Amino acid sequence: MMAQATRSRSKLFWDVASYALLLLLAFICIAPIVWTFLTSIKFEADIVTREMHYIPPRVTFENYVRLWNQSSYPVLVLNSLVVTSVTVLICLFTGTIASYAFSRFQFRGRTELMLGYLVVRMFPAVLMIIPLFIVMRQVGLLDSTIGLAIAYTSFLLPLFVWMLKGFFDAAPKELESAARIDGTTRLGAMFRIVIPIARNGLLATCVFVAIAAWNEFLFALMLTTSQGSRTWPVGLQLMVGEFQLPWGMLAAGGMISILPVVVLFAIVQRAMVAGITAGAVKG
Amino acid sequence: MSRTFLPAPYGPPRTVWDRINPVRLIGELSETRYWMYLLLLPSALLITAVVLYPTLYGMQMSFREMRLNRPDLGTGFVGLRHYERMLSDPVFWVSLRNTAVWVTFSIVIEFVVGLIAALALNRNLPGTKVLAVLILLPYFLPNVVAGHMWALMLDPRLGVINDLLVRIGLLEGYKAWFADPGTAMAAAIVVEAWHSFPFFTLLLLAGLKGIPTDLYKAADIDGAGPFAQLRLITLPMLRTIIAAAVILRVIGLVNSPDLLLILTSGGPGRSTQVLSLYAFQTAYRDFNFGYAGALSVVMFVFLMVFAWAYIRITKVNQE
Repeated sequence: MMAQATRSRSKLFWDVASYALLLLLAFICIAPIVWTFLTSIKFEADIVTREMHYIPPRVTFENYVRLWNQSSYPVLVLNSLVVTSVTVLICLFTGTIASYAFSRFQFRGRTELMLGYLVVRMFPAVLMIIPLFIVMRQVGLLDSTIGLAIAYTSFLLPLFVWMLKGFFDAAPKELESAARIDGTTRLGAMFRIVIPIARNGLLATCVFVAIAAWNEFLFALMLTTSQGSRTWPVGLQLMVGEFQLPWGMLAAGGMISILPVVVLFAIVQRAMVAGITAGAVKG
Repeated sequence: MSRTFLPAPYGPPRTVWDRINPVRLIGELSETRYWMYLLLLPSALLITAVVLYPTLYGMQMSFREMRLNRPDLGTGFVGLRHYERMLSDPVFWVSLRNTAVWVTFSIVIEFVVGLIAALALNRNLPGTKVLAVLILLPYFLPNVVAGHMWALMLDPRLGVINDLLVRIGLLEGYKAWFADPGTAMAAAIVVEAWHSFPFFTLLLLAGLKGIPTDLYKAADIDGAGPFAQLRLITLPMLRTIIAAAVILRVIGLVNSPDLLLILTSGGPGRSTQVLSLYAFQTAYRDFNFGYAGALSVVMFVFLMVFAWAYIRITKVNQE
C-alpha cells in the first residue's frame, strides 16, 4: 500500500513536470513566430522605441501592403512557386516508380542502390553547387527556375524515395497479388492498386519535399543571378543587405513566406511525421 | 512471384491499335525481368547527373586552378597545391576549430532538449498532441526566416530578449549578441538548436513508441526509479535511432552554412567562420573554385571518417 501511494505520487509529480516542460518548450518554439507577427503589424515608429511595446498600441497592415506593392516580393513568391512545383513534379515522376521498385522487388544490386541513395546525402552541398554552377552555365540552365528545380532534386529525390518507400512497405501486398491473379499487369497493379492505397503517404511525401524546396536558400543563392528566377529566400536576404529593409517589412515578408509552410504542415503533419520517422527507423 | 502460374495479361495483338497502344506496350514491358531496372532508370540517371557527376567534377576541380573571374577560367592542373596551401592557411584552421565547436555544442543541446521533449510527449498526457505540433514546427521553418526572427529578437536596439534580460536584472544594458566575438557563436548555436532540436524529438519519439512497455513494468516491480529506467532501458533501446539521428544531424551541421551565412556571414572577425561557410564564400565571393573544391573535399573526408568511426563505436558497444 505504501509503495502504491508513493508510486502514484511520483506519477503525479512526473505528469505535472511533463506538462510544465512541454508548455515551456512550446512557448519557446512559438514565441519567435508570435513576436515576428506582432512586429509585422506595428507601425515602424512603434517598433523602434525607448520603451518596448509588447502589445502593439496600434495595428496596421501597411508593412504587408508596402512589401507587396513596392518590392519585387510578388515575383519572388511566384518564382518560388514555380521552382517548388517543378521539383515536386520531377520527384513524383521519377521517384514514385523508383520507390515502388525498391519496395516490391528483390533484384541484384538492390541493397547497394538503396544505400547509394542514402549516401548521396552526405556529399557536401558546396562540393556539388560549384560544378552545378559550371554545368548549368554550359547547358544554359543557370539562372532559370527549371535549372534550380533540377538542382534541388539532388538532395530531395533521395529523400523522396526513402520516405515514400516506407509508405509503400506499409501498404498490404495481398490486394496486389489478388489483382495479379486476376490478370492485371505489374503496371496496372502499381497504378490502380498500390499507389491509390498509399496516396496519403504520397501526399505527405510531396508536401515534405515541397516545404524543403520552398525553404531552400544556398543553391538558390548560387544558381540564380537575376530577378527572373530568384526565389523568395534569396530575394528577402538581398533586400535586407541592399536596401536596409525596415524591420516591419522584413517581418511581414517572413510571415507571408512561412504561411504556406505552416498551413501545409498543419494539414498533413501526422502522416508526414509518420513517414519521416518510418524512413529513419528502418534506415 | 513466379510468372508461369499467372495468366498472360494480354492475348496476341489483334488490331493495329494493339500494336501501338502505349499503355499496352508498357504493360507488356512490365512483365519482363527488366521491369524494376526500368523503374529505377529515370531517378538513377537524374541522380548521376546532378549528384555523382558534379561531385566527381568538384573533386577533380580541387587539383586544378580554377577561377571564374578569369576569361579562360584559368584551368591548369596544380596537383596538391590547394591542399598544401590549406595547411598554412590560418583561416582554414580557425574554421576547422569553429566547425568543431559549432557541431559539438549544437548536437549536445539538440539531443538533450530533443530527448526531454520526446520523453515528456511519450507520456501521452491529454492535450499534449497540440503541444507536439507546436514543438515540431520550428524544424519546418525556412532558415532565412528563422535567422531573421532571432536577429530581430536579439537586436541591440530593439531586441525583445535584451529588454527582458534587462528587466529581470540579468543584463545591464542592451547587448549586440552577434557583433561581439565572444557571444556570436553562442547566439548562433541557440538559434540552430531552436531550429533543429525537433528533429531529435521526432526520431526519438518514434523510437520510444517501439519500446515494449513490459520492460518498464518489470523495472517498476524491481523498484528501479525513473532515472535508472532511463539509463538501463530507454537509452540502450534507443541506441540505433540515436546513432542514425546524430549522424544525419552532424552531416547537416557540417555541410550547410545557411544559418551562419544569414546570421553573421562568419563574423565578427572570423569568430563564426565554419568550414562549409569558408568554402562557400571562397567560391561565391572570391570565385576561387579550385580552393573551394579542395576545402569541400577535406570536409567530405572528415565526415566519412566521422560516420565510419561513429558507426564502429556504436556497434562495438552493442556487442
